[in-house]
Amino acid sequence: MIFNSLSFLVFLPTVFMLYWFVFHKSLQNRNILLLLASYVFYGWWDYRFLSLIFASTLVDYFVALALPKAETQKRRRLLLFVSLAFNLGLLALFKYYNFFIESWVEAWSLLGIHMQVSTLYIILPVGISFYTFQTLSYTIDVYRQKLEPTSRFIEFAAYVAFFPQLVAGPIERASHLLPQFRVLHQFDYQLAKSGLSLIVWGLFKKMVVADNCSYFVNEIFSAPYGFSLSELWLGAILFGFQIYGDFSGYSDIAIGVARLFGFRLMTNFKFPYFSRDIAEFWRRWHISLSTWFRDYLYIPLGGSRGNKWQQVRNTFIVFLVSGFWHGANWTFIIWGGIHACLFLPLLLLNKNRRYVGNQQLTFHNFFPVVFTFAMVTLAWVFFRADSLAIAIRYVGHMFYNSNYDLSFFMKSPKIILLGTIVAFATVMMLAFEFWAYRKQRVEVRLSTPAKIAVVLLIVFMGVYKNPSTFIYFQF
Amino acid sequence: MKAFLKYIGFIVLVTALLATLISISSLRALRNASFYKPSFLANQVSETNFDYIVLGSSVGLTSLNTNRIDSILGTKGLNLSMDDTGMSTHYLMLEHFLKEGKSTRYCILAPGLASLENKKAGFSNNDYRFLMYVQRDYVYDYYKNNPEANNATNVLFLSKWVPFLGVGYYNTELFFPSLNAAIHPEQRNRFDARGNYGYPKKGDSLDGKEEIHTAISFQHPYLDKIETLCKNNNIRLIYYLSPIYKQTLSYEKPNFPLIDHTQFFKEAGNFYDRIHVNSEGREKVSLQFAEEFKKIKKENQLD
Repeated sequence: MIFNSLSFLVFLPTVFMLYWFVFHKSLQNRNILLLLASYVFYGWWDYRFLSLIFASTLVDYFVALALPKAETQKRRRLLLFVSLAFNLGLLALFKYYNFFIESWVEAWSLLGIHMQVSTLYIILPVGISFYTFQTLSYTIDVYRQKLEPTSRFIEFAAYVAFFPQLVAGPIERASHLLPQFRVLHQFDYQLAKSGLSLIVWGLFKKMVVADNCSYFVNEIFSAPYGFSLSELWLGAILFGFQIYGDFSGYSDIAIGVARLFGFRLMTNFKFPYFSRDIAEFWRRWHISLSTWFRDYLYIPLGGSRGNKWQQVRNTFIVFLVSGFWHGANWTFIIWGGIHACLFLPLLLLNKNRRYVGNQQLTFHNFFPVVFTFAMVTLAWVFFRADSLAIAIRYVGHMFYNSNYDLSFFMKSPKIILLGTIVAFATVMMLAFEFWAYRKQRVEVRLSTPAKIAVVLLIVFMGVYKNPSTFIYFQF
Repeated sequence: MKAFLKYIGFIVLVTALLATLISISSLRALRNASFYKPSFLANQVSETNFDYIVLGSSVGLTSLNTNRIDSILGTKGLNLSMDDTGMSTHYLMLEHFLKEGKSTRYCILAPGLASLENKKAGFSNNDYRFLMYVQRDYVYDYYKNNPEANNATNVLFLSKWVPFLGVGYYNTELFFPSLNAAIHPEQRNRFDARGNYGYPKKGDSLDGKEEIHTAISFQHPYLDKIETLCKNNNIRLIYYLSPIYKQTLSYEKPNFPLIDHTQFFKEAGNFYDRIHVNSEGREKVSLQFAEEFKKIKKENQLD
């Protein structure tokens, strides 16, 4: 089930009513309701893959329960290994198996040895990377004795499968979300109202900004060689807005929906396109993943301790793994590598934390913001392109191309109209977010008239025929 | 909780009200304008009696120039073809034409090959162009009882009561054009005062295209309906197959006159793309059509 669907429009009010009016007296019943609702939400896409979530939940539940009882460190490590092997094994099988096989065969073929190894036809279960990381964080935290394991299975299962953020995050830590399943929430009017605001804003970003951008992006990226320099730049910039509108829109809706049920999810985006350098960009983009990698990979590797060489190594590992997390394709790994390279000068000059806690944009920040956006845009080409060869040629044509015209964007009255909608929606999104940024907020707040106006814009400017699914579902 | 439900109710109500008002105004603007063929027929075509009308898809629209045919035969014709439509839309257009109180002696049916290959009763991509008439029974019934029920048909028939469903769903096709239609009601969506449109001379390259053979049949649920409607209104039906580059057809002859121009041109120079003639091809094929139409008319002893 996706947020911008008719089925969700029926599902959400139904669960909301049941939660607040029927199951309002018992915490256990509420958690059962949320668990069932979450399974229905996920099973709507493909019920067979519910078994994976359930298996993951079972393994981590029992491993975490066994951890405090383990008498030796060896046994504790073994238990952690079981959880890691099971969860990452599933991820490897469903997401990376074919990639490894194909890369293996290609590597040998470079040496002149041609192997015949068959790949498998595997459907990637929606959201597997998200819930795997969420459930892993629980086991690791219990292993590190930062968290007490829960003995309530329903509570834990509801935490793993919590439907607002199940398929595309934010990736919640057990220490933050799990305790919220132990509270019989009382309805909080202001929290619910802010949630509604986020839902409306998220739908606008997804249905008006991202989905309208997708037409141009799909056309340009499907055959980039026929386009001019200006069109290729615009294609990359529009993809930047598409993925931002799509993914941050999803996060906004997820956080908003959770608030309707009294839950507070972590902020996942803090207006990343106003970042003044790459380090700041990564403190504002997909925060739940960046902090996950920081806590469970970067810091265990040594983090910023040790000499510069070790810091550089750790940074590269995190960025490359983060790229690989996004998808089983070299394009994602290179995308991660580009970000590591962009981060490197800041790290070496000790300037990677210069904007921490500073959300004051001044006129002098204009060029750093534009430069950072340009760098991020170039990297997005690798993220979006179907193959490395296409991405390299695409970037090449962005600089070496004598054709500057914009004829593709003027092809027909309908394309001009679509372009106007995209321009209007993007400027509006940036203006609202800039306003919130200047007010030192981490999210857009809409007044009642603004909510009504934005809903009207969604009705009359949204994409309804062949809407694109959320991009991050594939991860 | 009560306050929140009231708040949500208020937002939903006000939004629905405003969206409905905007949509009604939007459909009204389109109904009073001539942007799409259905309202063009109602607002800009003052004559009521025609010698012939052309019903069809983009191939009918771009192959037969009624201005040229009328200049040769001294007839009065109207091209009601719309691009990206199928047999079901041709039926709806004929019904709309008759309900507008107009009549014709001949109906030239010029569908795309897809309509004759594909036996699905059909719903076409451009059927939303009748939405401004959804309050009329025949348009509502067409959407409601369409055998290919899908999201689009549901949205369209429900628009009778909730107009923002259709106007929102087809926002780039209905809402935004309606803004223009409100200011320039006389503006037409790429067709002339007789409903004609021609492609420019240059289009897709046809180099290397190979001969294609297709088996078609003149059997279609909506074709039966068109025949019945014509019969009940004393309209003679003529089937027209437009030129297609390197295309051969096999079919059983239909039980009404047929003008087959599929292989009229061998040269790519007469085509805009594989299935549409260009301005030069249109001129030649319209002349040839006029000749053959004249013969049919004589055979029918209507002149």
